[in-house]
Amino acid sequence: MKRAIAFISGPIGPLLLVIVMMSIVMIVAGSTPWAGFAALFGGALGGTHELAETLAQTTALLFPALGLCLAFRAGLFNIGAEGQLLLGGLAAGALGANFAGPGWLAIPMILAAGFIGGGLWGALAGWMKSRFNANEIISTLMLNYVAISIANYLVAGPLKSPLASGAETAPLPAGSWLPSLIPDTRLTIALLIAIAIAVILQFVFTRTVFGYELRALGEAPEAARRNHVDINRLTWMVMGLSGAIAGLGGSAIVAGELHRFNTQLSPGYGFTAIAVALVGNLHPIWICLAAFGFGILESGGLAMQASAGVPKDAIHFIEGIIIVVLAARWYITTHVEVPAA
Amino acid sequence: MTLSIILTLLATTLTKSVPIIYAALGGVISERSGVINIGLEGMMVAGAFTAVVTSNAIGDPVFGPLCGLLAGVVAGMLVGWILGYAATKFKVDQIVAGIGINLICTGGAAYGLVLIFNQPGASAQVPSLGGANIQYFNLHAGAVALLVFAFVCAFGLNWLLFKSPWGLRVQACGENPHAVKSAGLDPLKFRLAAVTISGALAGLGGAFLSIGELNIFSDGMTSGRGFIALAAVIFGRWTPWGATGAAIFFGFFEALQYVLQGQVAWLPADAMTALPYVAALVALAGITGRVRAPAADGVPY
Repeated sequence: MKRAIAFISGPIGPLLLVIVMMSIVMIVAGSTPWAGFAALFGGALGGTHELAETLAQTTALLFPALGLCLAFRAGLFNIGAEGQLLLGGLAAGALGANFAGPGWLAIPMILAAGFIGGGLWGALAGWMKSRFNANEIISTLMLNYVAISIANYLVAGPLKSPLASGAETAPLPAGSWLPSLIPDTRLTIALLIAIAIAVILQFVFTRTVFGYELRALGEAPEAARRNHVDINRLTWMVMGLSGAIAGLGGSAIVAGELHRFNTQLSPGYGFTAIAVALVGNLHPIWICLAAFGFGILESGGLAMQASAGVPKDAIHFIEGIIIVVLAARWYITTHVEVPAA
Repeated sequence: MTLSIILTLLATTLTKSVPIIYAALGGVISERSGVINIGLEGMMVAGAFTAVVTSNAIGDPVFGPLCGLLAGVVAGMLVGWILGYAATKFKVDQIVAGIGINLICTGGAAYGLVLIFNQPGASAQVPSLGGANIQYFNLHAGAVALLVFAFVCAFGLNWLLFKSPWGLRVQACGENPHAVKSAGLDPLKFRLAAVTISGALAGLGGAFLSIGELNIFSDGMTSGRGFIALAAVIFGRWTPWGATGAAIFFGFFEALQYVLQGQVAWLPADAMTALPYVAALVALAGITGRVRAPAADGVPY
């Protein structure tokens, strides 16, 4: 038992567990681990375009994951990144489709619209928490569904492009598109923006009063309260910023990839981002690496499904297992004496 | 005409509340024992999916759905046990583990759907709970029996929690597990049992959705009901009857959209879809300071 605990609490244990689980999932699906992993990594890293696609997925996951990291650090379980991202994208799409200014003006405005749209949605949950003590886990999840309804209504009605057949806004003028990092791929400068936010967050956590108070709220709320930290104000600010970063991610997808808004904006980035933030140990820099790892899974998962016949939903199954194992691992590493190897 | 609309609304309200009632009862027993069950949603998915797969595998129009129900309960129990084991043995952060459980179940079901039915998104039609069609409910008799059984469960859980020695001990685990330990009992065993029962109830709620109300499983079919159930637990002040009432309250708003569809022209359909979630939000916000969770709810022992 002790050896098992020592094993699982090391860095190799969880990784090995994931590989074993993935292998099982591949074998059950009638493939072989060899073919499965080859398809997965080939599809994710096999060439310039594959790598660009992986990095685009990384970007899409990184924004909401960083937003969640901010909230989780403050002890606020925001699981509404999906809705915040969606409404950020909606705000960006609504503005971008109707704004015909030069790119240097349009792009910052579109990104700001996403930041504000997601931020307001996050702040709403924060306000409900601070004003009414409404459990943020439940409220943020409910707000996801409300966000989807709002977006569905607006793109099918008031914001619907008269030219589009489906429910979507008018396209953004080409001048408002985010510049690509690699031509003809979905990889845009949004990746750099996301990484910059990670660095800023790390600075905020370690070097600012706001970051200190935020961590105090998460780790010792009673101590924070007794030291006159304005918990109510902090709560809605943190939730607002958390939603804003996710919303920024939504606007980056609108301005960088879709060039319009529709409700197929996110295939669940906001939920996968929870796993990304947790695997990154709520540390902004580690989250960048975790997002890349999950980016590989997301983009390689499609290839794995296409060429090895392993349904890509298996990826989410594995992600869930990673989360539970990591949750257990925190306890093991902090509470059980691990014998020296 | 008007009477039939009212009766349909009442019947639909009950139908729509059934899965929420089961899940909310599961939430009550789990939280009373001190474990916050964020994984209710996942346990519902596990129940709904397993029920459809089992019913499909057996294929018999009577026997299949019955085995499906049983399998759904067992699947929910298993998932509940996993969360309970993680929460008691490994003292995991219950919220984090619950989020993980939800991902495991939704991802696992979507994966299994492709493997078993060879199509993403939704299963094939399977034998569902049969019997005569019941007027106004738009359900078969078998599903209505499950509806009635939800109230039996509420009654049973109420008795169990407040009248039986076992239930009182479970409550003590949620308030002060150290006191339970001092009394020579193991609070972890009570918690594990409570979360396992919680999973069974949520699994049954999921099975009602897939083979009671409908005859298929589709991705995302639980659409947040596990979380609405959590809101019902709080709104119902952690009591079985309170949670049941709250679940019916939310079920009413879900029923409204089905009954009012096409009747009220000025209200967009999307607004009605959002109704149950808005109701849950308002309910959550409206009960400030007037409710108190079990003292050790969510605190690992």
